[in-house]
Amino acid sequence: MQEATFMILTALANGSQHGYGIITDVQEISGGRVRLRAGTLYTALDRLRGDELIEVDREEVVDGRLRRYYRLTPSGSKRLGAEATRLQSHAAVALQRLKFAGGSAL
Amino acid sequence: VSEDRERERRYRRLLKWYPAEFRRENGEELVAVLMEFEGAGQRQPSMDLIKSGLWLRLRPRVPRTVVPAVRAAVVLMYAGALISALGFIATVPSLRYFADTNHLSLLGHRQSLPITIVAGLLLGLILTGAWMWMARAVGEGRRGARVLATVLVAPATLHLFGLKGLIAVVFAMVTWLIGLSAVWLLWRPASRAFFDRDVAALAPRPSEASRESN
Repeated sequence: MQEATFMILTALANGSQHGYGIITDVQEISGGRVRLRAGTLYTALDRLRGDELIEVDREEVVDGRLRRYYRLTPSGSKRLGAEATRLQSHAAVALQRLKFAGGSAL
Repeated sequence: VSEDRERERRYRRLLKWYPAEFRRENGEELVAVLMEFEGAGQRQPSMDLIKSGLWLRLRPRVPRTVVPAVRAAVVLMYAGALISALGFIATVPSLRYFADTNHLSLLGHRQSLPITIVAGLLLGLILTGAWMWMARAVGEGRRGARVLATVLVAPATLHLFGLKGLIAVVFAMVTWLIGLSAVWLLWRPASRAFFDRDVAALAPRPSEASRESN
């Protein structure tokens, strides 16, 4: 899973968000490192909807503009969970080995 | 306010790079997000929207709703597009070689670009486009695309007999086999049922209708 995809799914993990909300959330989660652009986000959203990992939660009109809120589908939650577990176990091994190697990198 | 309107116009112009279907579905929403960016003082670069729009137009799409045989044919056709694109790229060095040698003979008369190079480049582009169009159209259940693919097997077969050189023959054989396999898949009984049904299914499919109503 690409990092941007992982971050988008993570942004939706505890509730629905609209496009701009996802972008600011992803920026916050990543400590400002991942800044999604609008075009990139919507290409990803289109793909994730096609893969049925996310779906439209609701629509609102704010200041005369359309806001569409997205949420994870059950299979989206499952995929994100599996990916997070995988990353966690890899990270754990890496950190452990570095510690055995002297821990100077930490 | 008039500045805002001008910015919005700019974004709407850029959205023309997107497929019409995407604009209908997501256009207003995307404009809203772009204007939110503007509100936060972060102008979005044109290139991001142009790239995304072009990608959505050209990306390979293998619909999940179609029968396995048609899916396989669509994948094969995208493989054909890839090979044709590689053929196109392979022609470019010969173009450069020609340009270099022509440069050396500045004192003599300039040769015109050999017709074989021009034809090779054009054919590579046209074939890549044709493969991609057929892949998409077949996935959408268009019968015309299946007929075109079938008809094209004939010139592709004839083409095999006029070839010289091992690379050219292998290249053409692989392309030909891909095309033939795709066409064979498209006329399997399951695929036939898919194409026959699709004339009636030009109206929105039930799966899409139910997504709309959610």
